[in-house]
Amino acid sequence: MARDNIFVGLEIGTTKVCVVVAEARHDNTLKILGVGNAPSRGIRKGEIVDFETAKRCVHDAVVDAEERSDVEISEVFLGVSGGHIRSFNNRGIVLLEEDREEIDEQDLEDVRTNAREVSLPMEDCVLHTIIQHYYVDGQDGVLNPLGLFGKKLEADFHIVYGIRTRIQNAIRCVKELELDTADVVINSFATAQAILDKNDKQLGALVIDIGGGTTDFIVYVEGAVKQSGVIAVGGDHITNDLSIGLKIPSARAEKLKMEEGDVTLGNAFPGETIVLRDETGFAGREIERETLNQIIHCRVREIFEIVARQVEGDQNLNYLGAGVFITGGSSQLRGMEHLASDVFGMPARVTQPLPLAGVTSAFEHPQFSTAIGLVRYAHLVHLDRPVVRGILSRTMKRLGGIFRT
Amino acid sequence: MVQLNSQYGREENTNEARKIRVIGVGGAGSNILDRAMLDGIDCVELATANTDVQSLTGSVTNQKIQLGRNLTRGLGSGGDPELGLAAAEESSDEIQAAIAGYDIIFICAGLGGGTGSGAAPFIAKLAKDAGALVLVLVTLPFTFEGRRRCAQAATSLQLIREYADAVICFENDRMAELTLPRMGIHEAFAAADLTISQSIRAIANLLLQPGLIRVGFDDVCAVIRDGESRALFGFGEADGENRAHDALVKALRNPLMHRGDMLASALNVIVQIRGSANVTLGEIGNVMEELNRHISDQTQLLMGIAIDSGMGSRLSVSIISSLGGSSGHAAKAAYPALQEPERIELVPETAVVSESPLIQESPEPVVTLKLGNEEPTNGRKVKIPRSEPLNLAEEESTAPKKEVVLAGKPALKPEPKQIEARQEVLQFDAVSRGRFEKSEPTIIDGQDLDVPAFLRRRVKVG
Repeated sequence: MARDNIFVGLEIGTTKVCVVVAEARHDNTLKILGVGNAPSRGIRKGEIVDFETAKRCVHDAVVDAEERSDVEISEVFLGVSGGHIRSFNNRGIVLLEEDREEIDEQDLEDVRTNAREVSLPMEDCVLHTIIQHYYVDGQDGVLNPLGLFGKKLEADFHIVYGIRTRIQNAIRCVKELELDTADVVINSFATAQAILDKNDKQLGALVIDIGGGTTDFIVYVEGAVKQSGVIAVGGDHITNDLSIGLKIPSARAEKLKMEEGDVTLGNAFPGETIVLRDETGFAGREIERETLNQIIHCRVREIFEIVARQVEGDQNLNYLGAGVFITGGSSQLRGMEHLASDVFGMPARVTQPLPLAGVTSAFEHPQFSTAIGLVRYAHLVHLDRPVVRGILSRTMKRLGGIFRT
Repeated sequence: MVQLNSQYGREENTNEARKIRVIGVGGAGSNILDRAMLDGIDCVELATANTDVQSLTGSVTNQKIQLGRNLTRGLGSGGDPELGLAAAEESSDEIQAAIAGYDIIFICAGLGGGTGSGAAPFIAKLAKDAGALVLVLVTLPFTFEGRRRCAQAATSLQLIREYADAVICFENDRMAELTLPRMGIHEAFAAADLTISQSIRAIANLLLQPGLIRVGFDDVCAVIRDGESRALFGFGEADGENRAHDALVKALRNPLMHRGDMLASALNVIVQIRGSANVTLGEIGNVMEELNRHISDQTQLLMGIAIDSGMGSRLSVSIISSLGGSSGHAAKAAYPALQEPERIELVPETAVVSESPLIQESPEPVVTLKLGNEEPTNGRKVKIPRSEPLNLAEEESTAPKKEVVLAGKPALKPEPKQIEARQEVLQFDAVSRGRFEKSEPTIIDGQDLDVPAFLRRRVKVG
């Protein structure tokens, strides 16, 4: 049995499986004890396509993390992604009975349930019901209505849902390794916890996590999650584009992307070429740098444009005071921030997780944003628990719902 | 689509102004010019040349040249090209006066009859000698008009090719696709005339009107001169929400375009988009993107954009190109199975209608009948000269040849088939999804995101 103050985040990514083990200290800060890593196979676009292979990769990563942190892992917070995950905003309303005027925990629970009572397709299940704002008797700006007097409690929620069976695949993968899933968290929500501080969330921020198989984004406005989404396009697509465009093998394209990739157009000298070398170091064919950059540019610009369209469609683009935060493995391409600020018309930066105590230096890298975000999420839930009793039990109830079918 | 006021508000650019003279030769030629006149082609000067005074007086053009004043005495040439030629030779001074000082001479004629077939090559020669760029627009007779007329047309066409910088051939058989079979013969010819007058107008506009992105005299010369004097032309105009697409589709549907598949073998293509100031970049992008699918990688695309306030909410697309000699062979090699010309077999062996009331030229009274002993041989030779110019069409067209109109049994649209064939090629390069070939597609806003972004955005790389 794991200690109460140990949190483990597991991200099954398209490129790598990452396990972060962290410990909550007495001063309510987190300390990272170890990070386990394994390249993933059998995952495409953020979803498991080959169960057995994926399971082995998860196993490798968990073992690696256990060795490094010297902790026996029994329970994980699982990050999920995939193009099937969708979200919307909805408002719940609860009217208090005649003889009662003080809002209690049950009312908060009821308003949440009420907001979730929307007709979703049969195969879908709700992953998150994230509170945005409370209103008591129509009064705006109520941070915590618990104990307030009122007759009507309303609340806006950001509701994230996805296809049940696909989420179950990831949970089962963990379960078959004799691990429990404490909670399922969408990647973008977890990433935001690692990247944004309270101030950024309050000012308004857009986090774009460009991973291997998916691009996850989330919008915070006035401290609340306004929008989130997953686009099943990521670094793999860039590699694939290069492979098709330059007619080179995928592995070669991946290496080329990581070593030479740049999203900026017109950055190369005219006629500047890159010599492709094979494993033995022999020079093969030459590739024009501008061509390489152009292919990458087209894809990345498109990803940003899709995100921009979706965010703009919800009229959230004007409320992003803190700007755009780009993270994830593919954010390492050169020139990302310039392209992003060009597309979004506001400051953009490539960021890595906010510093934590422990053996972090090696993991202060955009690649680990989600995994570290998962333990931060776990920590937040843990901190919340004594105050709002029952959040974990609700979580379990929700998961029970997932498991039932 | 009658546009009487499309030229209003046009700014004259005197420096660039080229003088254009359009000469309609013979009955068909003057019909085309009448049509052009009605459509409001006031940027060029029109002249009609005919042997038939009756037809000449009926013409609405300003300048009229009576050919063979003494030879035919105001009557027609009776379907005899030699008489037509002799008449033109007699009036060569008048013709020379009419063409002097013009940079570009358009000659419109209906081949197969006497005046058109006989005089048009001669006028082309005079124009060429005068140093002008000579564009000849001719109609070839319907197959049912008989082999004799087809042979005369073919011989005349060969002569014209010698002098003209470009020949735009309108095959009447193909023109029949423009109209429905049960449509009146007047309407059918009117539709054909309309197409030809549109061509003249589009080329004239291209040359004369100031463009935002200009396609000039030099470009047109380059495109038309390089080719084997067989021009491709398409013009489309549309209104409404989807006007860019509609206009292009209309332009490609033009019988001369063979629905766009001839473009694949063209070396140079000029496309001009005309509209008032409300033309958007997106519309231009759409047109160019769609057009790009029809041309090969080697094709040079010259784009012109003209802002014409008279266009109102309409938008027009003109496509001009010519088939290059070598590219024609390339096309031949590419479609070896489709070379078989079937058209000849469809000629009714018995139907030798030398003069018919249905012919395009106005019926001309027969004055002189020159029946030499070469007459029967002429009849036998039919296949050779006739098949030659038409074969060009056969070779490059992938279309199943069904277009021959026989006594009201016209070509039904082979169009859907064309589109299918074209799309197969498209799919070939569009569906390269690489390693995502077998994975669940990611489709957002109608785009398959697994296909490389640079391919979908048509960014040329490498």
